[in-house]
Amino acid sequence: MRIPFWANPRLGLLVVIVVLVAVFTALRPAFLDVGLTIVPMQSDLTVFVVVGLAQLAVLSLGHMNLAVGRMAAVSAFASGWAYDKLDVPLPVGLLIGLAVGALVGAAAGWTIAATGVNSFVVTLALDFALIGLVSLLYSTFSDGVAFHVAPAGLDILRGDTFADYCMGDLCGPPIPLVVPIALVAALAVGVFFRNSRLGREILMTGSNLQAARLSGIPTRRRVIQAHMLSGLLAALAGFLLAVNNGAFSADIGGSFLLPSFLGPVLGGTLLAGGAVSVLGTVFGAALTEVIQTGLNLLQFEVEKFKIYIGIVLLVALSLDRLRHVLAERRSGGTAAPRPAADPVPAEHSGGAA
Amino acid sequence: MRTPPLTVAVLAIALCVVGCSRNTVHSDQSKLAPGQVKVALVPGGPHPYFQPWKNAMQQAKTDFKLGDVTFNETSAWNQTTQNSVLKSLAAQGFNAFGVFGVSPDTINSTFGDLRKQGFHLASLGSCPAGDTDNADFCLATDVRQAAYKAAKSAIEAMGGAGNLVHLTGNKTDSNTTRRIQGVQQAIDETGGKVKLIQTVTDIDTDLQTAQKAVADLIAAKGSQINGIVTTAYNPAVASAAAVKSAGLPVKVVAIDDDPTILGDIKDGSVAASVVQNPVGQAYIGSYALSKLAGGCTMKTSGQVIDSGSFVATLDNVDTYDTQRQQQTSQLRKDFDDKYLICS
Repeated sequence: MRIPFWANPRLGLLVVIVVLVAVFTALRPAFLDVGLTIVPMQSDLTVFVVVGLAQLAVLSLGHMNLAVGRMAAVSAFASGWAYDKLDVPLPVGLLIGLAVGALVGAAAGWTIAATGVNSFVVTLALDFALIGLVSLLYSTFSDGVAFHVAPAGLDILRGDTFADYCMGDLCGPPIPLVVPIALVAALAVGVFFRNSRLGREILMTGSNLQAARLSGIPTRRRVIQAHMLSGLLAALAGFLLAVNNGAFSADIGGSFLLPSFLGPVLGGTLLAGGAVSVLGTVFGAALTEVIQTGLNLLQFEVEKFKIYIGIVLLVALSLDRLRHVLAERRSGGTAAPRPAADPVPAEHSGGAA
Repeated sequence: MRTPPLTVAVLAIALCVVGCSRNTVHSDQSKLAPGQVKVALVPGGPHPYFQPWKNAMQQAKTDFKLGDVTFNETSAWNQTTQNSVLKSLAAQGFNAFGVFGVSPDTINSTFGDLRKQGFHLASLGSCPAGDTDNADFCLATDVRQAAYKAAKSAIEAMGGAGNLVHLTGNKTDSNTTRRIQGVQQAIDETGGKVKLIQTVTDIDTDLQTAQKAVADLIAAKGSQINGIVTTAYNPAVASAAAVKSAGLPVKVVAIDDDPTILGDIKDGSVAASVVQNPVGQAYIGSYALSKLAGGCTMKTSGQVIDSGSFVATLDNVDTYDTQRQQQTSQLRKDFDDKYLICS
């Protein structure tokens, strides 16, 4: 049975975002300041969307990647090193970083698949190992803890929006140049899980490992591939943060862990695996960013700031759950039950939205 | 036939690559009266070091008749959050910023962005890493020099020989690298009489982390240690307390002048403390920012100015603040005479 369109969790998130934007704008009109609010919000959002996708890639299996931040850090080191020492062009450094991220992700996946140890434990251990490795690499190969190198195009990618490019009087929209990179990543991940055989098989592996194995799916390989994708996306998030910050430094990825879960989980990706929502991840990340920016503008004190972030997130999730319960009652209470913590209808399990 | 949106996007980009021109943004830096200057002081996050900024900032508002001042510590030691906080404050009308950048390696880009948009910037308490500073000026402790002074004081208290331990903050912060270099310089000058047996980093997160690290250190090497030099606040408080409770003859040199540390100097459990000048940074920083907003310019953009560091010992624990106040007055005079050009 299908639930009404208004009970769609993505729509719910979108409504909450719109309401919050309206409330914050009413309280602080500066929320709509293009140069100082809207453009920086979009730049930050690109990083959080991609880091959310990196977590989503392994949540599809019911796994976790606690090393998502350090994978970004080690990949950003590789890119920074390539720019600094090999003087490579911007896209080549990006590719080197992506390759390193994918390799580290694949190594994590291989360890999980080969040993059967829980992904939580493996990636936690990997995170600790990479913290040390990143510090060591920077102290050995850089002057301190960062590469202050700016390959051609980096500053433009960081600072420009499409509004800076005009044909006569017609200029583009105030969208930062980094946004299409995150959009392409989101589209690619969406197509991968929705349309490709490999993506569907990863979701099936996450939904029911035994059934997937008995159906002839090489589940070990799928585990490695999902973690490889996670590493690759973590590397992309690290690159985007380095671009936004203007330097490839050792502290990249240090604050990725919480946002990596917030986006997908708010957006309806199941922690248990088997169902992902790319659009939901984008909306989940956007909701977090809107709350953060809105509360910044309201200038709460540091303690109150954290309390209000928690309250707003709780209210947003509770309203979403309430909306779903109402939808179930409207339809006669026959909608299939679903995990209490996840706002994704059960009929979406084993699929991508 | 329907044209796929992707094709349209590719065509639009191709067309733009061929025919687009790039706009150049010019900042608007009109002269402001003091009453129009709104100064925001933005530390990297909550930390006892920044608390004196609040009163100093209010004093500056009164003395220099500034339009408004605010203190915002919600950056939570996250550079992305700090960037967002700065831009939110700018959107609300604040036009001059004193910033302790979370990441000295990346804060320069943020300074550059804000200056391009016509805002006035001071890096307070910490200068960006590297040779350039995109802020108008940096008013901060010379951390390498302060660490050198601290290590020299520890070596002197140890009698010029023995084993020294260095406790400090985040290893991925370039200021920590400078502190490590300062301590090493002092040790090198002893010609091998003093040996650095361990440098412990990443223990300034909170007092509990520092206490655990110091307890582990004393349990493992307590009998070998003759001196501890600390260049971060939490390890300083933790090591003073641990040495006192263990009754070890270890000479501790702390940092800053928190009442706990001053008490430790008076009771002899801390040999000395290298105190900084946060009041001077906030007060003079606000003053200089108001002058810049009023039309003055820096003689050298990005000038690095040492806000001063002072060694407080049992001999001068009640009088060192006078020296610090003199330094603050001198800083204002230096800005007027040496650093600013006002027509």
